[in-house]
Amino acid sequence: MAKENRGGKYTSDLMLDLYSNLLSEVWEVVSAMVGEAILGLLFNLSIKKISEKHPFLKSLEVSEEGIYSGKVKEECRGLPPVEIHRGFQSLINHLLNLFSALTEGVISREVFPKVFPKVREAERLISQK
Amino acid sequence: MRLIVKNLNILRSILNAINTSFEVKEIVESAGDNLPNLFQFSALGVLWKEESTLYLYQEESCPPSFTQELAVNMVRVFSILGEEPSDLSCVTLQVEKRKLRPSHMAMDPKATLKSYLVLPLAVEEEIVGCVSLNSDQPNAYDAQDLQFFSVIGYQMAATLKHFQRFSSVKTMAVFDTLTALYNRRYFEERLIVEAQKSFYGGPFLSLVMVDIDHFKKVNDTFGHTEGDKVLQAIASLLKASVRKKDTVARYGGEEFILILPETGLEEAAMISERIRQLVEKTLFDVGQAHINMTVSLGISNFPSHRARTKEDLVKMADQALYDAKRGGRNRVCIFNPAQV
Repeated sequence: MAKENRGGKYTSDLMLDLYSNLLSEVWEVVSAMVGEAILGLLFNLSIKKISEKHPFLKSLEVSEEGIYSGKVKEECRGLPPVEIHRGFQSLINHLLNLFSALTEGVISREVFPKVFPKVREAERLISQK
Repeated sequence: MRLIVKNLNILRSILNAINTSFEVKEIVESAGDNLPNLFQFSALGVLWKEESTLYLYQEESCPPSFTQELAVNMVRVFSILGEEPSDLSCVTLQVEKRKLRPSHMAMDPKATLKSYLVLPLAVEEEIVGCVSLNSDQPNAYDAQDLQFFSVIGYQMAATLKHFQRFSSVKTMAVFDTLTALYNRRYFEERLIVEAQKSFYGGPFLSLVMVDIDHFKKVNDTFGHTEGDKVLQAIASLLKASVRKKDTVARYGGEEFILILPETGLEEAAMISERIRQLVEKTLFDVGQAHINMTVSLGISNFPSHRARTKEDLVKMADQALYDAKRGGRNRVCIFNPAQV
């Protein structure tokens, strides 16, 4: 659901929702292939690495049940959407690179069709600003 | 549906084989022996961080350049996971070659790594290494292969973690402190595994029981400390006389026992005779003196001696050892059913 402010601009909430849904979809697809334990580890490694540059990502919570974005949504409402976009995009890119390094195209083939439209959507929102 | 059930059964066998392994090398071999039923691969690799060792189980026609390429790739991927080591020179390679494909499908000497799957071996968020499946064929693996492989990887990780946790306890529980050979408990466990393999249609299995002749005299004449040195020296000779796949254990006192898997009677007799001669020709330092020692050896074999249980096999080797002693010592005797 789009959340717009008075000026008709997108909000940080919208961006957070978009990426939160995307990460959940990635989790669903990849955990079916490599299992929750390995995927949890890969997510945690990626979050640790990318949050050095985008500290707000530290609030993402990963467990064997999945990825929980509730805390990051609460804490990051005040962040500029473009910053949220950049952080999540870096995280997604890092995950995709990791998946490619591990399994060449096997995971990427399944994940890319889900990621690509969402990232395009995020870019479209940013460009509308 | 039938294919899924078949694959699940194969998977169950692989997991069982991994679970009952005692060493990393054995995990790799157990998995490698079963994996061809599930995947086509040129090499299976397990990089274990604790030992900085890369264990490779690969097709015998794998060219060295392929081995090198996949080793480099595995270390590279491991580094991407943010883990040491980052360079192949820090890693010890242990290669086990097997015939994984028919001769007419041998690998091209110029074959290169075309497909691979690498998974971190992780338990409780700790990466203990990584495992890889490698092929010289393009697009060799799909999502379903990855699903099966990740289950195998998870089990390997759990077993490796278990090894790591109990390595110090294991050292105490598995090795004899005086001779550094395996102890009797480990022998019993190992024998269960080897006997299971042989008794259920597997290869030959031989047992050799070894006893030092007149050992009591050494202890009485030179004291127990010097006697212990003789035990240690003979233990070293035994260890040096057997193959990688064999198990040498201290059975108790001055008795040792050898498990020789995939070994027929003739070969077991040859190995035993080699040991007998080696001990006979060796001069042992005891105090200021150099003395000669001898050993007696008794051999039993499955299926030649028709043992029905592993206990039978031990009793038969013991009986053969008794015959060797009674026959004048310093000799090798094969179990003779007629004398029972």
